[in-house]
Amino acid sequence: METRVEVAEGPALVLRGYEGEPLRDLDSYRAVGGYAQIAKARAMTPQEVTQEIIDSNLRGRGGAFFPTGRKASFIPSPDKVAKPIYITVNADESEPGTFKDREIMLKVPHRLLEGCLIAAHAIQSKHVFIYIRGEYGEEYRVLEAARKEAAAAGLLGDVTITIHRGAGAYICGEETALLESLEGKRGQPRSKPPFPALQGLYAAPTLINNVESITNMPIVLEVGAAEYAQIGAPPNSTGTRLFCLSGNVAKPGVYEAPHGITVRHLIYDIGGGIPNGELKAVMVGGSSFPVMIPSELDTQLDADSLGQKGLFIGSGVVCAIDDRTCIVQFALRVAQFYMHESCGKCTPCRVGTRWLVQHLRAIESGKATEADFDTVLDICDRIIGKCLCVLGDSAAMPVASCITKFRDEFRAHISHGGCPFGEDSSLAHLFAPVDQHAHTPVPQELSVERT
Amino acid sequence: MSAPELVRLTIDGKDVQVPKGTGLVEAAMSAGTEIPVFCYEPRLGAPIGACRMCLVEVEGMPKLQAGCTLTAQDGMVVKTARTSAQAATGQNATLEFILVNHPLDCPVCDKGGECPLQDLTFRYGPGKTRMSFEKLTFEKPIPISPTISLDRERCILCYRCTRFSETVSEDGQLVAKNRGAMSVISTFDDEPYTGPFTGNVTELCPVGALLPTQYRHKARPWEINAVPTVCGLCPVGCNTWVDVREEKAMRVRSRNHPEIDEGWICDKGRFAFTHLRSADRVVDPIMRVRRRGFEPVSWDAALDRATELLQAAHGRVVVALSGSETVEQAYALARLVRGGTGSHQAMLPEEVTGALDAYRAPLSSIADAKKIAVLGDVPLTESAPIVDLWVKKARRNGAEIVTEGDADVLIWSGPGGRGGLRVAQLAEQAGATAAFYVPATSNARGIADAWAAASDEEATEAESIGLLLVSGDEAANDPNVRALAERADAVIVVSMFHGLAAGWADLVLPGTSYLERDGTIVNMEGRLQRLRRTVQPPCPDELEWISQLAARAGVDVAPYATAVFAEVSAKVYGGISFGEIGERAPLRGYADAPTHVEAPAAPEPPSNGGGLKLVCYKPLFSGPAVERVQELQFQRPQAEAELSADDAKRHGIANGADVTLTSGDHSVTLRARVNKKLRPGIVRVAREHAGGLQGDVELSTPVTA
Amino acid sequence: MSVYDEIAAQYPSTKSAVLPALRVAQEKYGHLTREAFEEVADALDLTPAYCMSVASFYDMFHLEPVGEHTIEVCTNVCCGLVNAQPVLEAFERELGVTVGHTTDDGAITLRAVECLGGCSTPTIVAVDHVYKQSVTPADVPAIVEELRGNQG
Ligand SMILES: Cc1cc2nc3c(=O)[nH]c(=O)nc-3n(C[C@H](O)[C@H](O)[C@H](O)COP(=O)(O)O)c2cc1C
Ligand code: SF4
Ligand code: FES
Repeated sequence: METRVEVAEGPALVLRGYEGEPLRDLDSYRAVGGYAQIAKARAMTPQEVTQEIIDSNLRGRGGAFFPTGRKASFIPSPDKVAKPIYITVNADESEPGTFKDREIMLKVPHRLLEGCLIAAHAIQSKHVFIYIRGEYGEEYRVLEAARKEAAAAGLLGDVTITIHRGAGAYICGEETALLESLEGKRGQPRSKPPFPALQGLYAAPTLINNVESITNMPIVLEVGAAEYAQIGAPPNSTGTRLFCLSGNVAKPGVYEAPHGITVRHLIYDIGGGIPNGELKAVMVGGSSFPVMIPSELDTQLDADSLGQKGLFIGSGVVCAIDDRTCIVQFALRVAQFYMHESCGKCTPCRVGTRWLVQHLRAIESGKATEADFDTVLDICDRIIGKCLCVLGDSAAMPVASCITKFRDEFRAHISHGGCPFGEDSSLAHLFAPVDQHAHTPVPQELSVERT
Repeated sequence: MSAPELVRLTIDGKDVQVPKGTGLVEAAMSAGTEIPVFCYEPRLGAPIGACRMCLVEVEGMPKLQAGCTLTAQDGMVVKTARTSAQAATGQNATLEFILVNHPLDCPVCDKGGECPLQDLTFRYGPGKTRMSFEKLTFEKPIPISPTISLDRERCILCYRCTRFSETVSEDGQLVAKNRGAMSVISTFDDEPYTGPFTGNVTELCPVGALLPTQYRHKARPWEINAVPTVCGLCPVGCNTWVDVREEKAMRVRSRNHPEIDEGWICDKGRFAFTHLRSADRVVDPIMRVRRRGFEPVSWDAALDRATELLQAAHGRVVVALSGSETVEQAYALARLVRGGTGSHQAMLPEEVTGALDAYRAPLSSIADAKKIAVLGDVPLTESAPIVDLWVKKARRNGAEIVTEGDADVLIWSGPGGRGGLRVAQLAEQAGATAAFYVPATSNARGIADAWAAASDEEATEAESIGLLLVSGDEAANDPNVRALAERADAVIVVSMFHGLAAGWADLVLPGTSYLERDGTIVNMEGRLQRLRRTVQPPCPDELEWISQLAARAGVDVAPYATAVFAEVSAKVYGGISFGEIGERAPLRGYADAPTHVEAPAAPEPPSNGGGLKLVCYKPLFSGPAVERVQELQFQRPQAEAELSADDAKRHGIANGADVTLTSGDHSVTLRARVNKKLRPGIVRVAREHAGGLQGDVELSTPVTA
Repeated sequence: MSVYDEIAAQYPSTKSAVLPALRVAQEKYGHLTREAFEEVADALDLTPAYCMSVASFYDMFHLEPVGEHTIEVCTNVCCGLVNAQPVLEAFERELGVTVGHTTDDGAITLRAVECLGGCSTPTIVAVDHVYKQSVTPADVPAIVEELRGNQG
C-alpha cells in the first residue's frame, strides 16, 4: 500500500499544487507556479528576504522549533568572513514516527530546491549540501533527478547543490553531528559554542535547516509574510505542518494541516480513529519526547499548547498507541533505540542509555522491585541536561514519562512477575538492533541477571 | 611585547583576573579551584567536552556547562561543585556513569595509586554503586603492540589516545571503533600500533586502559622513586622521569620541558631503558692473555695493563669517541691522553661547530614559524623525533613546510650539514630567525666543547697508531673505528656489551649507560642539560677509572662530575656551576655569537655517474641499546627503499614492488616504497638494509629466476 | 581519474568523500574487506584505520561478510505496534536463520533495523535497500521467493 499524503485541512502550503500526482519534473512544478518565488527573491536584497522569513515567524520543522529567520540572521555577511558560507539541508529524517521530509522529496522535490535557492540568496551562500539519510534510495534518485533538471534549466544560477548520502546513523540528524559526518568523520556532535552559524561546515558559517522548513520558504514569499503569520496558531506556531500520523489508527499518513488542530481531531476525524480497542497513549512529536495520555487529547498541536502540558511538537509526529500495548515494552523499545543510536562520545548518554535498557528489561520480565522505578527516574534525571547533545534527554524523557504516567502498569509487572499482557501485547518480544550482530565486537544480548 | 589584556570573572564567589583567552579550567586553577577533567588535555587541540566530568554552573546558562569547553569571559559568574549543588550532582552523576561499566580491579591495576579516576571518585564520586547488572565485558588485556596493552573494560572513552594519534603524532593508527556503548579503541585489523611516539598514549590515558607492557605488575607508585634526568639517546635531550624501584629502572616518563618536548617523548627514549639489564652486559674488566684468550681480571690488573698500553704507545694514542659521553667524561679522557700521553688525536663521530649560535632558539619556537625548511633528506622522525612533532604542530598552525629554499626557520637533518657550517651559511642567505642542525649523536656539541677546553694545542696526525682507545658502544659499533683498529698496535674498548667488545680488544673496560651517569650534555639547540644517575652501574663509572689512570700518568682529574664540570665550565660555559644548570634548563643565550661564518666550499660527495643519490640513514630504532630490547624489534625499519613519485614513475616501479639498487659491485634488492613527500633524485634506505651501497645507485627490477 | 577522485572532486575537502567512497568500495567487495579499506584510504590519502573507524560508526557499512542480498525489517515502535515482530519471525522461519545472520548458502542476510521512515505503511521491509510497504507475515514467502528467483 502507498503512503497516504493529503492536504487534510487548508490552506495547502508545502503540498500546494499537489493533487495526488507527484510534481517531479520541472514542467509540472512550473505549472503550479514553481520557481516564480526564487525569481522574486533574487529581485529583493538578501536582507529583505531574511526579513520576510523573520516576519512570517516560520519555525524549524526538524524538532527544535527555532525561528528560521532569526537563525538565518545570525549568519555573518560574506564581506565579514574569509571563508565561504554554506547551507546544509537536514534530510536525515530518522526520528521514529517521522516520514514527511521523504514525501516532500518524492512529491514536490523542486519546491525544496527552490527553497534552497531562496535561503542561499538570503544569506548569500553559493554552496548547498543536502544531507539525506542513506536508507532513502528512491528519494535520493528523485531529488537528484530534479536537481539535474533544475541545473540544466539554469535555475541554480551560481549556486551549487550537492546531495550527500548518509550511511545509517540517527545521530547524524543532530546538526553538528551532521556537519562532522559531512566532513567525512564519525557522526559525533560537537560541543557548542562555537555555533554552526559562525563555525559550521569546514569551520565556516553554516545555516542548517530541515527539509520542511526550507520547503516553506517559497510559500512564505508566495503568500507573503504577513498572511503566513496569520495561518495556524499565531503568534508562535504559524503555517501548516505535515503531520505524520501512524500507529494504531485507521488511516495513517502524512496530512498537511495548520498548527493548532487538536490531537483528537487528527486521530479521530482525519485519521479515522482507533480500529481495535481503545486509545492508551500517543507519541507526540517523536519518540524523543514524553508521551501523551488520553486525558490530554484535546491539546492543540502547537508549541505553546503542548508546552503547557510538558509536551513537544517535535517533527510533527502523532503515533497512536492502543490498549493492546504494554507500555513497559514501549518504554523499553524506545530506550533500546537510543542506546543503539547513542554516538558514544559523552558519558551520560553512552552509559546511561544502556543502563536504562537493562533496568527496563528487568522490570518488563518482573525481575525488579518498585524501588527500581525511582532508580530509573533518578538515572533519567542524571542524564537530562548533562549530555553533549540532547539525544540523552531524548531517551530519558519518554522513559520517565511512561513511569510517571503509567506507574500502575509498571507495578503490575512486578506483582505479576512478568508482563501481564503475556503474548497479547503488540510489542511482545519485539526485537531491537541493539542485540544484533552489528560490527565486531559483537554486542552480547544484554543480560538482566543481577550480579 | 605589550601586557596581555585581562578579563575579570567570579568563580565560587572568588574574584579572578586572567589574561583574555584563558580556559576556564586554567582560570579556576589560578584561583585555587579545581575543575576536575578527564578528556580535557590542551595539548591535544580544541576541547571536545566528551566525558562531562567538568560540569559547572554558569550564570545565565540554563543547563550545566562543560567547563573545559569554555574560555574565561569578562563578568562570567561560575559555580563549581564546591558551591553549586547542581554541579555537584552533575559531577557525581558523571562518575557514577563512568563506574557503571568500569571494572573495580584497582588492586591488580598498574594505574592504581596514580589514577585520576581513582582520585576523582575519591573526591567527587558516589560512595557505593547502584549498578546491579552485568557490566560490559571485553577480551582483556589485548596487546595493541608489543610495548602497549589495552584493557577495553577500563577504558572510559575520553578519546585522548585517539586524538593524540590523529592530531599530534598524526599517524592515524589508533582509532575508535563502533558506536555508542559498543565503542572501543582499536587499531586497523589488529595490526600493532607502530611509530616513534606510540608510548605517549600510556601517559595520556587517565585510567589503566593503556599501559606499558614492560611495567605490567612491576611496581606500585608509592614504591617508586622518580629521578629527574634527560634522555641521552638522541640530540633532542627530552626531559624525563626515570621511575626506580629497589635500584632498578622500571619506567621512563616525560618530564614536560615546554621549550624542548612539550611533554612528549619517543618510544626509544621510553622503552629502550631495559638494555641496562641486557644479558651480555660487561661488568668486569676483561684482558687478552697470551695463548689463553680473554679472561676477567681485577681492576688493579686492568689499570696496570691500561697504563702499560698507554705508555707503550709513546704519544701515538687515538681516542675514538661515541658522541654520547658526558661533557665530563670527554673532558677527563682528553686530559688523560693529552696531558698524560701527549697525544692529541681524537676521532669524533663528526665535527660540530658553534656556527649556529647566532641562530639559536628553543625548539618550541618552530611551532610559531610561518615557513620552515626541513633539509638534509633524513626524516626528523629518525634523527630527532620530537622535532618532527614541533614541525607538525607548526603545520597545524598554518606554517608552510618546504624541503628546499628559503624559510624563517631552517632544520638540517642528514649528511652534508657539515656540523652546522652549511646550515649557518643558508640561514645567513635566507635571513632566517632560527636554524637547527641535528648532530649524529646525542652530545656531539658538548664533546666538541669539552675536547677544546682540555687543550688549545692543535692535534698532530700521528703516522701510526700505538693505542686505539674506543670510548663507548656507538664507537665500538662503528665500522670506521673497527677499520682503524686494524692499524693499531693495541686496542682498549670501553663498552657495555660483550657483543661489541669481544674479539678485537686487548683490554675491555666495562662501560655505563646515560641512565647511570652523572654529568652534563648539550642538545641540538645548544642547551646545556643535567644528566642524573638514576641507578648505580654494575661497575665503577668511567670518571672513576679515568681519574685513577690519569693519576698514574701524573695528571690530576677529579673523579666527580661536579668538580670536572666546574673546570670545563670555567673555560667554556661562563663558569656556571652544576647547581645553576637547573631542572628544566633554560637555553642560555650566545648574544655575541658571530652571524657570519667563513667556511671552505663543501666537497662534492663522490658521484659514480647517473642514477639516484643514496641517502642512507641511521634509523631511530637501531643501535646497541635498541638491539637489546626484544619488545622494540617490531619497530625496526622494513627492508624498503623509499622513492619519490617521479623517480618511481620514471623507472616504472610500483609501490610495494621489488627493486634492485646497485652501486659499484654491490647490489641489494628491497621493497620499493613510493613516498609522495620525498624529493626526486634520491633513494632513501635504512643503514641496516643498505649493504655495501655507496654514493649514487642505479635502479633495476630484479631478475626473477 | 578514478571513481574515488571523481567523488572527492565534489567536495571542498577530500575527507568528505569517505562515506560515498566506502559505499562504492562496499558494492565492489561485498563487504568492507581489508583491501576495500586500503583502497579507499590510499585514494583519499587517509589511513585504513581511519576509514575503518568511520565505517564502523554507520549501520549501512558491513565490516563482516554479508549475503548477496539483505532483508532489513524495521522493528521500531511504529511498525512494532502493528506487526513488525510477526513479520520478522516469518522471515526467520522462511530463511531458517535468526535475525542478524546469513543463510548458509550466503545468499541472504536478515537484519532488523531502526525506523526507516515508512511508519504509515507498516511493516516496512527494505529488500536490497528498496522499501516494501505494508508487509504482512503472509507476504514473506513471496518476497523470499522473488529474491531467490532472481539469483545467479
Ligand atoms: C538526536 C537528534 C536527531 C535529530 N534528527 C533530526 C532529523 O532527522 N532531521 C532534522 O531536520 N532535524 C533533526 N534534529 C534537529 C537538528 O539538530 C536541527 O535542530 C534541525 O535540523 C534544524 O533545522 P530546523 O531549524 O529547520 O528545524 C535532530 C536533533 C537531535 C538532537
Ligand atoms: S583508552 Fe584511555 S585514553 Fe583512550 S579513550 Fe579509553 S580512557 Fe581515553
Ligand atoms: S573534561 Fe570537560 S568534558 Fe571531559
